[in-house]
Amino acid sequence: MASKKVKVQMSAMAKREERWAWLFIAAPFVGFMLFMAYPIVFALIASSSKWTGINSLWGNIVGLRNYIKILNDAKFWKAMGTTIIYMIGIPIGMILGMLVAMGLNRKIPGKRVLTTMYYVPVVSSLVAVSILWAWVFNYDYGLLNGIYKALTGLHGPNWLGDEFMVKVSLIIFMVWKGLGGTVILYLAGLQNIPRDYYEAAMIDGANSWQKFRNITLPLLSPVTFYILITSLIGGFQVFVEVQVMTPSGGPNYSAATVVFYLYEKAFTNGQLGYGSAVAVILAIIIFIITAINFWGQDKWVKTIE
Amino acid sequence: MRRKFLGIAMASVMGLSALTGCATTTVEEAGEAESTEAKTEEGSGTETADAGDATETADAAEAESTDGSSTDSLTGNGDKTLHVFLYMQEHEKKIYEDLVKQFVEEHKDEIKEVVFEVTTQDEYNQKMIANMTANDMPDVFYVGPAAVRSYVDNGYVLPLDDYVDADTIGSVWGTTQEIYRYDGKNVGSGSLYALPKDLSCFAFAYNQDLFDAAGLEYPDPEKPYTYDEFIEVCEKLTIDKDGDGEIDQWGVANADQFGMTPFLYSNGVKFLNDDMTKVNVANNEPLKEALTFYTDLTKNGLTPSVEQDTALGGYQRWLDGQVAFYACGTWDVAAFMDDATFPYKWNLCGWPVGPSGDGRSHTWMGSVGYCVSATSENPDLAAQLAAKLSTDEEGQKAVSGITTGESIQLPNITELAYGEFKDAVNSGKVPYASNVDVIFGYFDGNDHYAAALQETDYTYNAEWFTPFWSGVFNIKNGDISVEDYLQQVEPEMQEALDEAIELQNSATN
Repeated sequence: MASKKVKVQMSAMAKREERWAWLFIAAPFVGFMLFMAYPIVFALIASSSKWTGINSLWGNIVGLRNYIKILNDAKFWKAMGTTIIYMIGIPIGMILGMLVAMGLNRKIPGKRVLTTMYYVPVVSSLVAVSILWAWVFNYDYGLLNGIYKALTGLHGPNWLGDEFMVKVSLIIFMVWKGLGGTVILYLAGLQNIPRDYYEAAMIDGANSWQKFRNITLPLLSPVTFYILITSLIGGFQVFVEVQVMTPSGGPNYSAATVVFYLYEKAFTNGQLGYGSAVAVILAIIIFIITAINFWGQDKWVKTIE
Repeated sequence: MRRKFLGIAMASVMGLSALTGCATTTVEEAGEAESTEAKTEEGSGTETADAGDATETADAAEAESTDGSSTDSLTGNGDKTLHVFLYMQEHEKKIYEDLVKQFVEEHKDEIKEVVFEVTTQDEYNQKMIANMTANDMPDVFYVGPAAVRSYVDNGYVLPLDDYVDADTIGSVWGTTQEIYRYDGKNVGSGSLYALPKDLSCFAFAYNQDLFDAAGLEYPDPEKPYTYDEFIEVCEKLTIDKDGDGEIDQWGVANADQFGMTPFLYSNGVKFLNDDMTKVNVANNEPLKEALTFYTDLTKNGLTPSVEQDTALGGYQRWLDGQVAFYACGTWDVAAFMDDATFPYKWNLCGWPVGPSGDGRSHTWMGSVGYCVSATSENPDLAAQLAAKLSTDEEGQKAVSGITTGESIQLPNITELAYGEFKDAVNSGKVPYASNVDVIFGYFDGNDHYAAALQETDYTYNAEWFTPFWSGVFNIKNGDISVEDYLQQVEPEMQEALDEAIELQNSATN
């Protein structure tokens, strides 16, 4: 009798707990279904249609036609090429970020102020700083060409108006914008490296380069890996700075990225089906690149243990 | 192994986030930035929460966000509800809000609630696509001439002929009576699907002060320049003012996307064949002639160079008094009349006329109209509201500036335009360029002026025209000849046009 009573009590409580458990599970699950799964499935279906937003999606399914067209779409490939060129900024940003972080990792006055300064671009509105830099790059009135003219007496390059220079300009901007984030991550990584490794190396007579090469660099590799992955993914999704600095995609479409192209197709030209297909292709590319990186990380990513 | 699994999982999530847009959340932000840059002519773009006198005719609950969009709810004693969804600028909103309030007051026994939702132009299309996808259409919304076909073919809008009386329809500009008609095959005839919110055109303007300084006679509004005369005048107005060896005042500045076509149209150019299925640029003699004229203006230094243009656009240079001629849309007039924005005397004139056209000065017009949803539960009431917004006399007097002193647009009602509005312009009651007849000439057509919608307004999208205008700077730079350019660009234009036609037809399924 007594044991039965206890059992009933336990089960009621367990039931209640179970209900709560389901509720807690439900929140992220429903969120995922609504905001991830549904849009993904929708985008997949839309990508195989001539959907314009105005016509009916289901009445205009065309199978793989959009995908085949994209493969032969010169503008898409041009945008893809530009997107990849912009990624030159990733290693540059990583090297600069590591150098700055190592500088800040020493006991120097004004360290906090400097760290904050490097981080300000990261927390600033991308749109706002893009507008700002559009003026920095301005051909006649820009800061850069102003300095150039003061130094050389000559007119500087047409930063945003030349097919080659516009890419250089955007890379400079992206490196500047991302540097603070990289610095903070490397700084955290540096501070995680145990002091005694360096002491041991010193006792063994290692010079600065050897310490950097054999301790710092390998032990920063998880951070490097993280930065690489996120930068690559972000690199494929560059849009805002291009849209703001070169609203029509730059001279002869030289500044346009894949997402810029996607946006233009879907929302300027009303080809939502085609735009969805571009998004799917982009997602597949990002998936493959990220997967390759994860598979390859065993070769170079070291952890402290 | 575990790490690899994690890797794949992370790769999937990252990849898929590209699809759901998680990583590109700033699309709208960017759009806004562009619009603030593009619309600097609107001045401050201040947000005024104008809840003050909203309750004089009806109870108003107002929610105003910071991005220029707002939703008003106006209530009466009846049982019918209407949802109005539009985009407009801040200063127009007040005028139209008052019209809606009046309408609610006039029909307060029928109306339970009118929701008056206004957003920005950038957001409008995206919200409409969402409405269409969700099958939840407002009762009254905008349709542009370009969208009439798609909207009708897909059953979104109602023919208005049975709901609006013929006098109302007949009171507006002939153009706006035509462009919203569609017979299931062609735009321009058949049932009427919208009443105009406005009619605008892209006229030409000159800076009188620069003409005075050069001792030149003003352009004759009765007789637009020929190409040759225009070059001659521009040469006299292109000068090095401060004597530093560099030109700092130009005859004209042009924006290729919108400011090029009037030059071309005025030489009889058409980019498409009559049924809008074939691009005709490669072997188009009037186009070759006109484009040569147009690009030579830059090559010969009568406009700022391509580089200078990237540094500071023509619009800014015009406002700064650096160029003698510049395009003037009807929507620009109020800004140009404002001394703080444009501290020069100026007036309207016609675009120069080419030798191969019909001898008239041509430009393009634009319009957007109020339509009624095919799924509206109260189509009659919705149509009456559309008619009120479009042709209410007091409303038109307000937007045209007769009663407000600031002209946002020309009146839709022709009688009002030629009568009270013109009088108000002549008497100085409405600050407006005195050559307003240039605009009327374009609207109604006469011996010297003519205008039409842009050809892109008749195709599903404007993508076919993009390769054309966006590459013209290569000719100006001397990188390619006009002849080669036209040969090179035609296939790309045709491909985009074919795609547009296919999308247009996909609607009729």
